[in-house]
Amino acid sequence: MLQTWRKYEHNATTWLLLLPAFASFFGLFAYPILVTLIQSFRPEGQADGFTFENYINFLSDPRGRDVIVLTFVLAIGTTFFSLLFSIPLALILRDKVRGHRFFRLLALIPLMVPGLIGALGLLLFFGSRGWFNLAAQALPFVTEPLTINYTLQGLMLFYVWLYFPYTALTTLSALEGLDRAVEEAGAVAGANPRQVLRYLIIPQIIPGVLAGSVLTFMTAFGAFSIPLITGGDYRPLSVQIYKEISSFIPAHWSAASAMAIVMGILQVAALTLYMRLLRQRQVR
Amino acid sequence: MSDIMIEFRNLTKRYGALLANDHVNLQVKRGELMTLLGPSGCGKTTALRGLTGYVKPDEGQILIDDKDVTNLPTHQRQLGMVFQNFALFPHMTVWDNVRFPLMIRGVSKQDSEPKVREALQLIRLEGLSDRYPRQLSGGQQQRVGLARALVYRPNVLLLDEPLSNLDAKLREEMRFEIRDLQRRLGITAIYVTHDQQEALALSDRVAIMNSGHIEQVGTPEEIYEHPRSKFVADFIGLSDFIPATVESYDAQTARIVVAGVALTAPAVEGLAREQKILLFIRPNDVELALEAAGENVLPGTIRQATYLGDRIDYRVQIHDGIEVRVQTAGTQRLAEGARVFAHLPVARCRLIREE
Amino acid sequence: MRILKLYLHPLWNARLLLIYSFLSGFAILILAPFLMISLRSVGKGWFGKLWFPPEFTLQWFQTAIDIGNIPQVLGNTALIAAIAVAISTTIGILSGWAFGRRRLPGKEVLMAIILLPRMIPPITYALGVAKIFYGLDLVNTYLGVGLAHVSLCAPYAILVLSSTFEGLDERVLEASAVCGANTLKSFFYVILPMVLPGILASMIFTFTTSYNEFTLTLMTYGPDTVTMAVRTYLAIGEGYVEITSAMSVILVVPSLVILAMIQSGIQPEKLVGGFKGV
Repeated sequence: MLQTWRKYEHNATTWLLLLPAFASFFGLFAYPILVTLIQSFRPEGQADGFTFENYINFLSDPRGRDVIVLTFVLAIGTTFFSLLFSIPLALILRDKVRGHRFFRLLALIPLMVPGLIGALGLLLFFGSRGWFNLAAQALPFVTEPLTINYTLQGLMLFYVWLYFPYTALTTLSALEGLDRAVEEAGAVAGANPRQVLRYLIIPQIIPGVLAGSVLTFMTAFGAFSIPLITGGDYRPLSVQIYKEISSFIPAHWSAASAMAIVMGILQVAALTLYMRLLRQRQVR
Repeated sequence: MSDIMIEFRNLTKRYGALLANDHVNLQVKRGELMTLLGPSGCGKTTALRGLTGYVKPDEGQILIDDKDVTNLPTHQRQLGMVFQNFALFPHMTVWDNVRFPLMIRGVSKQDSEPKVREALQLIRLEGLSDRYPRQLSGGQQQRVGLARALVYRPNVLLLDEPLSNLDAKLREEMRFEIRDLQRRLGITAIYVTHDQQEALALSDRVAIMNSGHIEQVGTPEEIYEHPRSKFVADFIGLSDFIPATVESYDAQTARIVVAGVALTAPAVEGLAREQKILLFIRPNDVELALEAAGENVLPGTIRQATYLGDRIDYRVQIHDGIEVRVQTAGTQRLAEGARVFAHLPVARCRLIREE
Repeated sequence: MRILKLYLHPLWNARLLLIYSFLSGFAILILAPFLMISLRSVGKGWFGKLWFPPEFTLQWFQTAIDIGNIPQVLGNTALIAAIAVAISTTIGILSGWAFGRRRLPGKEVLMAIILLPRMIPPITYALGVAKIFYGLDLVNTYLGVGLAHVSLCAPYAILVLSSTFEGLDERVLEASAVCGANTLKSFFYVILPMVLPGILASMIFTFTTSYNEFTLTLMTYGPDTVTMAVRTYLAIGEGYVEITSAMSVILVVPSLVILAMIQSGIQPEKLVGGFKGV
């Protein structure tokens, strides 16, 4: 009897410790989403009522679909180019080349510095009077300043700038987790450096790298400050949602809510799919 | 075709101020198993890495089969190697691990199959070819490592402390297995270890290394019976070093004095009168008696007796600061504090210069 | 042999050259934007095809501080961050202890649920937060903006602290008990010194998150609770590049200080490490 009580008491304490965490989870996350969900079924500007109009309007509008496509293009493209850039970077940095600590620190900067400032700096750097164009125009075949700001390619570049560190750091830590003796064993067995990379290093780190690139995908999908400032006419979902509220008086709360719900569902669906693919790879 | 398979010529490697290899010279004969033995940090691993090409020597040359390979990249040296922590490819099955050297050499799937099968038979792991390394025990993993090293019949087999991650019983088993395989295939092998037991049991010849250079090369018997330096004597087996002074000597024998007692020992080269020298003897060669009899006897007191099962370990105090360790068969038991006479058979005594 | 060496050597150098041009390109890409901002903030008359400003001035900083009301904005930012850090560290310590040191059925699932806010774009629930806070009159209050930040900061704190507590060596606790320490003494003399680095790390990460947080702030701020991030955003909209640059320089300094702190003590991998299991 006493023992049962003790056990009960023990469990009760555990749940009591978790209470604040769940309070914040429900109060600041779950409940707001519920409110958004309810709002998304309200006719615009009314306090009650039920309608699917907000979803239908958004999803049937070709511009609405373009926004979704753009969001995916940016997220997937960013993930791809981050991988393309991070793997060589991590391979170089793991060899502890001279100054590798400095370059490691550099890879952290986009994570630590407010995204807004990164965006502003990139706009200045790639602008028509920025250093990039000054350098480019020193080349013989470049006569006009290259337009990078407010183009899709430019936006993608800025995204990669801001979000590659997730991929780079996980790639680096995956590489550093490898047993170097395995590569030595490969070399002794007759594999040249390219074969060691292809048959031994890449297959070993790929699960970790892909898991890390999920973070890049996730944050790129939800990116807000960068496209808000540097996107120009390219507005992914997050910016479009904000515009529904900020550019109209009264604000389009219902339309924005419907978009937010769509965005949340797409994000969760994409993540689940990605994770499932990853698991399958690992099981195999 | 000379009978020297591997040769180190003046191999030297520095890491900053540390001299990891100091003009190492060593020749390994065809079909021989040579052990590099020494404490950690003695440079044995650096020498081995020089042979694989993972460490670029600062000076000197390395020859394999009369060919200078000093500047040849690792993957072109045609070696087989077994690693301390196995270093199996974790993302490949046992079969693919063993096939790897063949795959890299462009051997087709069909052609490599009998070879892989044979290698797996050699190490008796045919049934486990679909497993991944993490699903195997340590001993099995090391066998796979051995098969991978041998599958394409390299000229040279390198073993870098292959047994140090295994438990004691398995270690002994694998020792014989490695020795047996090496003999059967007639392959030249270099075995790196810090375990003297392993070195004595396995090797055709042993090279003892100390702080970057080779102290002595010889068969296990030579090394154990006739150590050329205090380091070698101390590193292999138990030793007594008794400080002595040379009184007189001729071509065969030397008279020395230990704590006022005159003793005889076989002479060595380069003796001088009044020279300080060490008298070296193995503790199990010393005989203890309660009465003085014959020559070469040191009187003393038993300070400590430790029962070790098959033998008893005594610490016998001869003089202030001079203590002799003696191990006798478990049948003879002497009490602590007893006055005893330690008999040092002349043939078992050796004189070693102090370093 | 010698000829081979001669040919190999330049090849080796070419490899190094390639590596270092890659790395310098990387360094330029990361650093040049900040350099340009800094130069803009102190440059005068920098027009046309000029690599560097012809004159230097501090007037943009003066203007930013006077018109942008920077001292008050910095105060707001610090206060809001302090609220967010205090609340989320408290949450983190309590539930971190439950996750790290107590038997908990379905621990993994619970953890995944608690980390969910970090997987969903903030804008999706920021709308709801804003709506709720309007109803509670929390918009444009320090507590309101700080609380909004907690939704993002708390999962971080929980993650870092549960692994800190989990890493506590049971044997050390046992040893302190054997040595005669009661629960209270054990806590102050043994547990606290051991977990302090973890708590500090959690505070630094939550502070950075709150300091940089833009989306949730934008949805809950008001005239009295403008933070540095929002102020800079507004300045970008106003279009004075020099003044905006000056503000950005002020905004970026704390981030760099934290970066230096991280570099000297805390492993940067922790920043991303926690997501692996999700």
